Amino acid sequence: MAEIHLDPNVLSGLQEVMEAEYPRLLETFLHDSEERVTALRKARDDAKALGRIAHSFKGSSGNLGAVRLAQLCERLEAESVGAQAGLGALVDQIDHEFALVRPLYESERERFSL
Amino acid sequence: MTAAFEPLTILIAEDSAADLLLLTTIVRRQGHHVLTATNGEEAVEVFARERPQLVLMDALMPVMDGFFAARWIKQLAGEELVPVIFLTSLSESADLAECLDAGGDDFLPKPYNPLILAAKINAMDRLRRLQATVLQQRDQIARHHDYLLHEQRAAKAVFDKVAHSGCINAAPNIRYLQSPYALFNGDLLLAAYTPSGDMHVLLGDFTGHGLPAAIGAMPLAEVFYGMTAKGYGLAQTLREMNAKLKRILPVDMFCCATLLCLSSQRRVVEVWNGGMPEGYVHAIATGKRTALISRHLPLGVLSAQAFDDSTEVWPMALGDRVFLLSDGVLETADGNDQLFGVERLQQVFYANREPGRLFEEIEQALAAFRGRARDDVSLVEITLQADLPLPTVQPVYTDSGQSCPLDWSVSFEFRAQTLKRYNPLPYLLQLLLEVHGLREQSGALYSVMAELYSNALEHGVLGLDSRIKRDAQGFAQYYQQRNERLARLDHGYIRVQVQVVPTATGGTMTLRIDDSGPGFDVEQVLAQPLDIDRLSGRGLSLVRQLSSDVRWSDGGRSVCVEFCWKALA
Amino acid sequence: MSIEPDVSLDGKKLTITIKGRFDFGSHQAFRDAYERFYKVPESYIVDLKETTYMDSSALGMLLLLRDHAGSDNSDVRVINSNSDIRKILAISNFDKLFDIS
Repeated sequence: MAEIHLDPNVLSGLQEVMEAEYPRLLETFLHDSEERVTALRKARDDAKALGRIAHSFKGSSGNLGAVRLAQLCERLEAESVGAQAGLGALVDQIDHEFALVRPLYESERERFSL
Repeated sequence: MTAAFEPLTILIAEDSAADLLLLTTIVRRQGHHVLTATNGEEAVEVFARERPQLVLMDALMPVMDGFFAARWIKQLAGEELVPVIFLTSLSESADLAECLDAGGDDFLPKPYNPLILAAKINAMDRLRRLQATVLQQRDQIARHHDYLLHEQRAAKAVFDKVAHSGCINAAPNIRYLQSPYALFNGDLLLAAYTPSGDMHVLLGDFTGHGLPAAIGAMPLAEVFYGMTAKGYGLAQTLREMNAKLKRILPVDMFCCATLLCLSSQRRVVEVWNGGMPEGYVHAIATGKRTALISRHLPLGVLSAQAFDDSTEVWPMALGDRVFLLSDGVLETADGNDQLFGVERLQQVFYANREPGRLFEEIEQALAAFRGRARDDVSLVEITLQADLPLPTVQPVYTDSGQSCPLDWSVSFEFRAQTLKRYNPLPYLLQLLLEVHGLREQSGALYSVMAELYSNALEHGVLGLDSRIKRDAQGFAQYYQQRNERLARLDHGYIRVQVQVVPTATGGTMTLRIDDSGPGFDVEQVLAQPLDIDRLSGRGLSLVRQLSSDVRWSDGGRSVCVEFCWKALA
Repeated sequence: MSIEPDVSLDGKKLTITIKGRFDFGSHQAFRDAYERFYKVPESYIVDLKETTYMDSSALGMLLLLRDHAGSDNSDVRVINSNSDIRKILAISNFDKLFDIS
């Protein structure tokens, strides 16, 4: 099954709910997410902090339809409790995935702005 | 059932800005007013200030997490239900369980589904409104309860005045035990003297409890006191009480009652028991107990035509006692729900050595037995004492005493149909009391009239032989015969003549009673010794004692008495 | 406590069975058992076989039924009463109003 990076059904659902506020939602998400990615990089060795940030990131990316991103965050959250090895690799993957979906959100935002 | 939509004020506490924006929009779109907070501490602050009706709370937040904040908010809410829905992307059951333990009422998973959110908000709101209704009703009930208590206290105060205006506390020969709220459970205890010094006692037990039962007792007390004071006998008083209750009480309410007339003059007790536990006549000399069994339906059940007013009559000697009790006595239960019962009561009787202590011994046995106090215990003991002086409390007259009939006569003839159902004595007494000079002798007057009338009826018209009344068995037989013959009576009469004339010093009333019977040997009867006369005779010595002159004529079919008085200054 | 009415096929006889305590709490259920028949039965039977307890409000309810059933013209029978219940009915002399067995 192909991995879903951005679920178009979720986006259209969000459009319906948010109406005129849709672009603002996307903007807020992008801004928050950039901050989270930065925080993840900074917290490289702090498993607890990584778990917390991943949990939060998981929530909002799920809400905004970034399915693969949410899954990666879930893995990071789970693994931050147990083994400490390999967390760095997950952070990289998250970083990479966000870089992938960001332009998609940005063009959505452009499309719906005045 | 869909209730009309009411917008709520909802607090959303979420630290992720995008999620907060999304949620706020969803909830606003649903028509509700939204307050926001980005951490637990802020959430508690906003709640305390604005008092929203529902809270959506992110579980993990900085500066006081959601669980802590939720517990605090619940505490601030107090009795009211403020539903808290946790927002969570937690997946472990342990974590979800912690949500509910923290006082959360539900949780909403991420990603948010607007439909599910709306449904949960509505469900929580229903619960919230239900709780609000419960609290409201609880307060209403508490108010009503206080009001009812107040009403009952007022009613009891009124009732106490009515119910205790008899002689129950004043009579030296009555002892009673009645629990404080017996009244309010329908137990009624009344006692009053007749004009001739006999005592009527009523122990009653209304169905139902509380106010309805107490209210039924008032008209009953009125009839009892009124008729007893006028000299009406048990039968007529019972008929009146039954008719009254039948008329005013609903179909399913009635009054079990024992009514008795104790006469120390005639040394008898006359009893009617409808639905009460059996009472006892306790003979001191022999220790023998006679049960006064319920033979009738309670008062207020039967129509006037069907009502049975027949009584039983038992002889008593000086010092003998009558015990009456309500079923609260027999049904007193101990810790194991065992009932006190008839057997235990009998045991107390058997064990008793000193009659004067019997009442206390019953009281003590009940107290020792009882685990759970009942509030409807009534126990009465009435002792037959030597002739008490006739009561000095006279009824109050409405006239000023200036005008009264001083020179007149009247005669009546009461025939079979009337003799069967009507006792003319109360009426005759009222008539005679129009003469002021006779008023202070009303007790003696009534006793004499009653004695002579009873002789005329029983020995004259009905032809009963008083020698049958030799013992308890004979007594029962005699009164049974009396009732039978009276019911069958179709001929015969009693004539009553009254003549009042003034004299130089005051006045004289002559009362003459004739009956249609065969008459009797006057000299022989007058010659009989006193004791026999008491139990089975004609009470003639009593008559001679109480009036100024008594003479028989016409072979014993006619008797004449005189009462004199001095003019009042 | 349960009160179960059972009417015969021709609608002429109504049997009311009382299980458990027959007391003040049974009032509404008892009235419902006989009041709602469009065709009024000719005879009534109150079955006390499984009645564990009866108090004076139950006596009152029997009077209500009798009144509903035509008072002096009524046909109300009280059956299967145990010795405790029979004692209660005897003291109040209800056998003068009802056929009791």
